[in-house]
Amino acid sequence: MDLDKLLEIGNECIHSEPPVCVASCPVHMDVIAFTSEIEKGDFAKAYKIMENKIPFSRLIGKICDHPCESKCVRKDVGGSIKISELEKTVIDLGYDAPKKAMLLPKTKGNIAVIGGGLSGIVTAVELDKKGYQVTIYEKSSRLGGSLWDYEGKGLDSSIIEEELLLISKKGISVFFNTEVNEENLQTYIEKYDAIYLGTGYWSKEYDINPDTYQSDIASLFIGGKIQSKNNSVIHCVSSGKRAAVSIDRYITKTSMLASREREGIFETKLNYKIDTVKPIDVVKKTSSIYFENEAKKEAKRCLKCQCNECIDACVHMQRFNVTPDSYIRNINHNERIILGTHSANEMINSCTQCGLCKEVCPVGIGMKDIIHDTRESMVERGKMPLSAHDFALKDMSFSNSDYFSMVRKQPSKEDSKSLFYYPQIAFCGYTRGLYKGSGKTGFLFYPGCQLSATHTDYIGDIYKHLVGAIKDKDAQNDVGLYLGCCGAPADWAGRVDLMPQSVEKILNVWKEMGEPTFILACSSCTSTFEKYLPMIKTVSLWEVFDKYGLPEVAIKKGKKELSIHDACATRHDTQIHKSVRSIVKTLGYSIEELEFSKDKAKCCGYGGLVSCANKEQADDFVNDRITESEQDILVYCAMCKDAIVKGNKRAYHLLDIIYGNEIDQAVPQKMPTLSDRQNNRKRLKKQLLKEIWNEEVKSDLSNTYDFTLNISDEINEIIEKRFILVSDIEQVIHNSIKQKERFFNPETSDYLARLRIQNVTYWVKYEENGSDIVLKDVYSHRMQIVEE
Amino acid sequence: MKDELNITNKWICDKCQESLVLEKVKVRYLEGNFEVELLKCPTCKMVYINDDLALGKMLEVEKGLEDK
Repeated sequence: MDLDKLLEIGNECIHSEPPVCVASCPVHMDVIAFTSEIEKGDFAKAYKIMENKIPFSRLIGKICDHPCESKCVRKDVGGSIKISELEKTVIDLGYDAPKKAMLLPKTKGNIAVIGGGLSGIVTAVELDKKGYQVTIYEKSSRLGGSLWDYEGKGLDSSIIEEELLLISKKGISVFFNTEVNEENLQTYIEKYDAIYLGTGYWSKEYDINPDTYQSDIASLFIGGKIQSKNNSVIHCVSSGKRAAVSIDRYITKTSMLASREREGIFETKLNYKIDTVKPIDVVKKTSSIYFENEAKKEAKRCLKCQCNECIDACVHMQRFNVTPDSYIRNINHNERIILGTHSANEMINSCTQCGLCKEVCPVGIGMKDIIHDTRESMVERGKMPLSAHDFALKDMSFSNSDYFSMVRKQPSKEDSKSLFYYPQIAFCGYTRGLYKGSGKTGFLFYPGCQLSATHTDYIGDIYKHLVGAIKDKDAQNDVGLYLGCCGAPADWAGRVDLMPQSVEKILNVWKEMGEPTFILACSSCTSTFEKYLPMIKTVSLWEVFDKYGLPEVAIKKGKKELSIHDACATRHDTQIHKSVRSIVKTLGYSIEELEFSKDKAKCCGYGGLVSCANKEQADDFVNDRITESEQDILVYCAMCKDAIVKGNKRAYHLLDIIYGNEIDQAVPQKMPTLSDRQNNRKRLKKQLLKEIWNEEVKSDLSNTYDFTLNISDEINEIIEKRFILVSDIEQVIHNSIKQKERFFNPETSDYLARLRIQNVTYWVKYEENGSDIVLKDVYSHRMQIVEE
Repeated sequence: MKDELNITNKWICDKCQESLVLEKVKVRYLEGNFEVELLKCPTCKMVYINDDLALGKMLEVEKGLEDK
């Protein structure tokens, strides 16, 4: 993984970009924090925020020429926030006399500040803070310069005087009535380590660097009006602050320019959108300044502009409180750490890789590929937590084993002869399809492992319908069937070791079958094929239905309005979106589109194997999704249905409405358990081979035991939650009875047995009544116990 | 802790019909090797782990080692 490149992507994230008001404030007062404190009614804290960036804030805050306001994003939706008015109120309500500062030794150098006006005094206090001995030379008999122009026009003379006392309190020496001019400047240059010139006017024009305020004489820095040529109070303050930074860098011999790109006014990358912002008018003053409540109300209008598009849309980012900038920093740390805890593992395994963040990001940053690459890197470095994806990968391996996996060509015309009789041939599309058998497999129906596991009984009917419908219009091409798993779990888990063999297996089948078009019924399959098997032409089952016609089924009347939950894996597949909607409408349903639909679809929580790695996070996803609509949900991905039903929301699979299976509104909907799913896959293969290909599966492949297992609903829930299969429980019990490897509790008459199966030790507590076994508890651990 | 385990534990080994005794047992996971006191059958050495231990401390240690 190229971590430097990754960090660069993180730097593109604009979540931490300042709002335009802050960027257009020459001293970058934190307006969001400021208005937030006012809103809370904490005026003292709001004042502290001003003080943080604005020297002499008690004065400047009253007379600032507020360039921020003309840039405020609120400008066109009710009017700019009255930041300057708020500052005035904050000074009146929140000013607190500063605590007596400790006098620090001034050993870094001697600086002369020429001109005791606004920029001069700012430079002086800033340099004083940095540890310099500062001397001010002022030609008049008082400090403050142009500040006195505001006497009675915003500032009281008593407050100006009080604030200027700060200079003497700090131990800054001032020489009054001392005029420095071009003629005697040289003596000052010779005497001091550096000079700041802020007299407002100067007889000679010097070349001044606009970024550093350094003149063509290295130790001479010039700011304020001489440099800015304008009367802006806040620019004057800014130039004093920046000149102080330059003088410090000059004396400490550090780079004059490094990391100073964003001093003064700059362009923010944040472009806050106001499309959905409701206009609220500026709060009117009822007196010369805002009263407390008026200020709070005005501050509340502040939009607190920040880019939160991704985190607002994604419960994963919300749970871990990250945006791509911080997320990537966490990944970087997690990848580089050698000794210690990889504390970001859980977060990395809690992303569904759905890609929504990229869809909503104004600068196009997406975490999907980053998370995928990170997981691959974790696997390669042996740092992927084993337990995170173990169950899903074992399930994948089951689906690709002989229990489920199989490939068949369309039954040949020769083998189907017995069906070709009237009325079968006249009324059954499937029989006619077989009759037209060409021997060339043009299509291969690939229902996928999850649809086959949870909607088992549709698969045979779909296959027969496809043969009939496709052969009717396209006699050349037979339709074959392929059961298996596309490898999506391995892809999600970052298993670089498993993915190639999974891809190769499918590729070989495709070649052996004469390169047919795959008909895919699962969005995850579609996405996996696109990514790993681009040479294989695919079409979604929904497009085929839309194009070749739907199965003829008597449709029952049911709830007629549905919300479509699009599958995140095919968010860019507009053809699928269209076909699905077309089918739904053909069947007489109306659609209430969700806010997050099509390319902006939200994940159900199954993606990225999150339901396996972090159950709570998966629950967040489904809860977020189901609250979007009052309607029942229509999905076209088996796992979406599973997640939504488990979230206690009624969900139809598109196949449910195609085959007219209305949901009974009175009964809670249920989905097959993890064990049911494996059994369903086994059953499907056996059934299809028998029904369609007239083949008997030689052995059942599954074990039979001489006991009957009784599992209550309550225990079933525990089994599911703990990702334990009934077949494993049976093995434990079988072994315990046979080997007597079990504990017995004489008080309750319960048995407790354990067995290590692969990398997990399963414990089963049960009651034995003859051949009846009542399950009491099941749990497991991965740790190995040495029994010696 | 030890006494508590002994008193509350009613399990006996079904094969050996022995009461369980508290002894040091080796446990392993990934790079981790520990010795902990657990109840086991003194004869066949089968070790008893209850649900609290498996789903509590053991799970915590497993996760800790996985994140190392």
